[in-house]
Amino acid sequence: MIGRHPYRNRVEVLQGTLDMLILKTLQWGPQHGYGIVQALRANSGEMLQVETGSLYPALHRLERQGWVRSEWKQTESKQRARYYRITAAGKKQLAYDLNRWEQLVATIGSIIRSRPGEGEV
Amino acid sequence: MNLFRRFAFRRRAEELQEELESHLRMAAADRVVRGESEPSARQAALREFGNVPLVQDITHDSWEWPWLERLLQDFRYTLRQMTRSPGFAATVIGILGLGIAAAAAMFTVVDHELLQPMPYRDPGRLVTIREGSGKDANWGAPWMDIQQWMERSRSFRQIAFSTEMGKQEYLEQTAAAVHVSGQEVTSNLFGMLGVHPILGRAFLPEKPGSATGRNAGTLVLSYAVWQAAFDGSRSVVGRVISVNTTPYTIIGVMPPGFRYPLNPVATREGQVWTALRLGPDDWKNAPYGPQYQVIARLQDSATLRSARSEMAAIQKRVAEGYTDPYARKTLDALTLQRYASFLVNDDLRRALLSLLLSAAVLWLIASLNVMNLLLARGTARQREIAMRGALGASRGRLLQQMIVEGLILSVSAAILGASVAFAAVRLLGHELHQQLPLPAPAAPNLLILLVLLGLTVLSTMLAALWPALFAVRTPIEAALRQDGAQTGSSRRHHRLREVLVTTEIAMSLPLLVACGLLLQTIYALRRVPLGYRTDHIIVANLNVPSFRFAGKDLPQTLYMPLLERVQHLHGVLDAGLINEVPLGHTFNITLGLRLNGKIIHAMLTPVTPGIQRVFRFRMLAGRFFNEQDSPTSQAVVVVNPAFVREYAPDKHNPASVIGTAMWQLHQGQPLHIIGVLDNERQESIADSSQPEVDLCLCQIVPGTMAYPVVTSFMDLAIRTSRPPAQMIPELRDIFGQASAEMRDASITTMGQIVEDSYGSQRLAAHLLEIFGGAALLLCVAGLYGLLGYVVAERTHEVGVRIALGARRGHVLWLVMRDAGAMLLAGTVSGAGMAVASVRLVRGFLYGVSAQNEWTLVCAAVLLIVSGLGAAYLPARTAANINPMEALRIE
Repeated sequence: MIGRHPYRNRVEVLQGTLDMLILKTLQWGPQHGYGIVQALRANSGEMLQVETGSLYPALHRLERQGWVRSEWKQTESKQRARYYRITAAGKKQLAYDLNRWEQLVATIGSIIRSRPGEGEV
Repeated sequence: MNLFRRFAFRRRAEELQEELESHLRMAAADRVVRGESEPSARQAALREFGNVPLVQDITHDSWEWPWLERLLQDFRYTLRQMTRSPGFAATVIGILGLGIAAAAAMFTVVDHELLQPMPYRDPGRLVTIREGSGKDANWGAPWMDIQQWMERSRSFRQIAFSTEMGKQEYLEQTAAAVHVSGQEVTSNLFGMLGVHPILGRAFLPEKPGSATGRNAGTLVLSYAVWQAAFDGSRSVVGRVISVNTTPYTIIGVMPPGFRYPLNPVATREGQVWTALRLGPDDWKNAPYGPQYQVIARLQDSATLRSARSEMAAIQKRVAEGYTDPYARKTLDALTLQRYASFLVNDDLRRALLSLLLSAAVLWLIASLNVMNLLLARGTARQREIAMRGALGASRGRLLQQMIVEGLILSVSAAILGASVAFAAVRLLGHELHQQLPLPAPAAPNLLILLVLLGLTVLSTMLAALWPALFAVRTPIEAALRQDGAQTGSSRRHHRLREVLVTTEIAMSLPLLVACGLLLQTIYALRRVPLGYRTDHIIVANLNVPSFRFAGKDLPQTLYMPLLERVQHLHGVLDAGLINEVPLGHTFNITLGLRLNGKIIHAMLTPVTPGIQRVFRFRMLAGRFFNEQDSPTSQAVVVVNPAFVREYAPDKHNPASVIGTAMWQLHQGQPLHIIGVLDNERQESIADSSQPEVDLCLCQIVPGTMAYPVVTSFMDLAIRTSRPPAQMIPELRDIFGQASAEMRDASITTMGQIVEDSYGSQRLAAHLLEIFGGAALLLCVAGLYGLLGYVVAERTHEVGVRIALGARRGHVLWLVMRDAGAMLLAGTVSGAGMAVASVRLVRGFLYGVSAQNEWTLVCAAVLLIVSGLGAAYLPARTAANINPMEALRIE
């Protein structure tokens, strides 16, 4: 049967947070797609492997939103690569995302730490 | 879609590819640095990266306008496919386009003539009332009778009536006066029609018959006259102008498009209206006094039927008031009909409807055929669709692709159809001009065109979508292995296509039968002996501005000198004058003669002696007029056999009437019959002769009975030895010298007049030839397409059969049997439809009956033989299948 086979995102948990992670990575300076993958992996202690199938759509989506801008540049090893740079709007968005992330973590954390009966009167 | 955007799409895709490529290179380079070998580093990088095209696709989807880009892709794909098999695309577009064009053109004409609202408010409530019934119905009624209708009837809100002002009206505005058509109307007419002047005012209310004279000497102009003679000047109201030397004050201008009465003359010329004045003749209770055309608006409570029964009762009493016994008998009934149906007679209505039906049938056949073609192709494309599905195309995407294909085909067909329809309406309009009371439309009706286009697009889409819907439900594997053809759904598919072809055949038969009947009609009409020669004759319809010759002897001051000059032109063999050449439809005079207590209607025809030599009329007895007949010699007439039948004591001996005296031209000067002409076709080729009385024009002097009527219209007929094109300018010069207005006389040839008189039959025959021919062609194509497909599909099976020892003849029979079954089923059901539907064209037929079995049999045989011919080609292909090759295909 020919049917729908929508692509299933393999980093589902990170859906929504991937944008934030990319923006955060770009805060330290312009980077290309491969560089972002490497940086995320290094900074997560090899824990986080970002799939290219999520990364590139995310990058292109961010560019469409105007949060990053891209240009073709030479790498140190004289390779031509597409570098992404965070924009002012992107920085604002990052601050907003980080703020929300912290709220979310705090909320979830308080729920996890709470004992039955304690929160409610 | 502009080039820039397309370019932008492509560049973005290339950049993405390059970006991913650089990712891979960097990943590989890093591995090389860590000590891996180059090929294995590349391999590992690719593995780590994942499915490159998939990443590409998903990223693609995050861009703007992904749907638009896909649409463009489908569009390009379809165009590529169309260029690969241009024959298929051209066939589909051509067939559909022609179907749309034929239907749209016919719908437009019919809509225009039969359904178009007349330029009045609520025209469906307007009726005409005429005295008498059936063929003998009068043109209207005399005032005294109308007055009684007005007093006694309750069915009408208002009754108005009108008559022509004179015979020829000229507005004296410029050097050459403007020819107009003038009507005397009652003051309530415009109000009753619900139309008001756009400039100035209408007539003041006034009871007809009460001679208040409030509207005396006033004139209302039609928009056309206002534009033509006064350049649309707003200061025209209040101006005094002369109509045939009588001064009138202009009081108003009617809106554009307004005409009354609606007839071909009124639409060709501009109209003017004055208030109707009753004269002393109107007050005599005589049945044959001045007649008026009566139009009335029904009360809201009244219906056509109730008005008819009320008026029938009233008319009985009106007729009883007559002392004349013949009038009491003939006028005791009346004809009350809708104004719209009075304009388009039943014959014409039926004829138009039958042509409309034919066009609709052709459209249906075309649609069915296209559906068939698309279905065949859809089946053939099952593999392609399955392949695309296997490669990951989603169901939605496949459907979208099919929709785009259907749209491109049907929209192209629609554009072609619309443009051909425009051309066809223009062509039809030219032909129809002779036949129809309203001016032919200049462009197809937009609504009709849109509806047709909509239907066509819908049907094409259905046919285009079918294979896709079908394919998405088929298992991919089976379709790819190409044994899908053996599944049940495919057989159903096949059965559907057989039904479509059979329906096409059934619908074509009535068209072919109607076409055959009309061809026989044309053949019969062309063989009718006319009773005169038609070759080498030029006919000029003189628009005589009789007002310029008021008080003068028109024959002696205008006609005779004119004829004299024409006769001296180089190349003129004979020349003569006649008020209306046979089949001319310009102006005929009917004379009511009272004989033996009944009224004989005879055509009164003033002629000059030369006319007999021009037309070579044959004499059955006596002589024709000659140069010795003069105003002072004995008054004489020539009659025809139809008159003799009504008049003579010995109906079968024309010579018996020679020398008898009949009614008087002058007081105390009886007319003597000196000759009997052979029968001739006067008004129409299909009708036999009516009684006719010919007068010698030179004997008609002012003061003779009917002098103004008899002398004011004249056709000049010339037998020439030179081509008409050379003669016409010289004739115009002579006319112009006689009177400036006559320079524009319409000049044609007798051959053309005869040709025009075939008008509706010829038009219908031509149209049905086209419709029938196209239908036949479509049937043959449909049958051929279906069988060709079946044979291709069964190649393997046939190969096995032949390998197992089946004879070629048997295989041939196998295919022909299918074709024969479809043809037989189609023809039998078509014969039923033909018998039922040819009755519609009965009004068109002449010399052939609508229930003509031979025509039916011939049409059926033609259909079956062409069908079998079309089937023979695929059948022969099947019989010639080489079993070795057929089995190797697997």
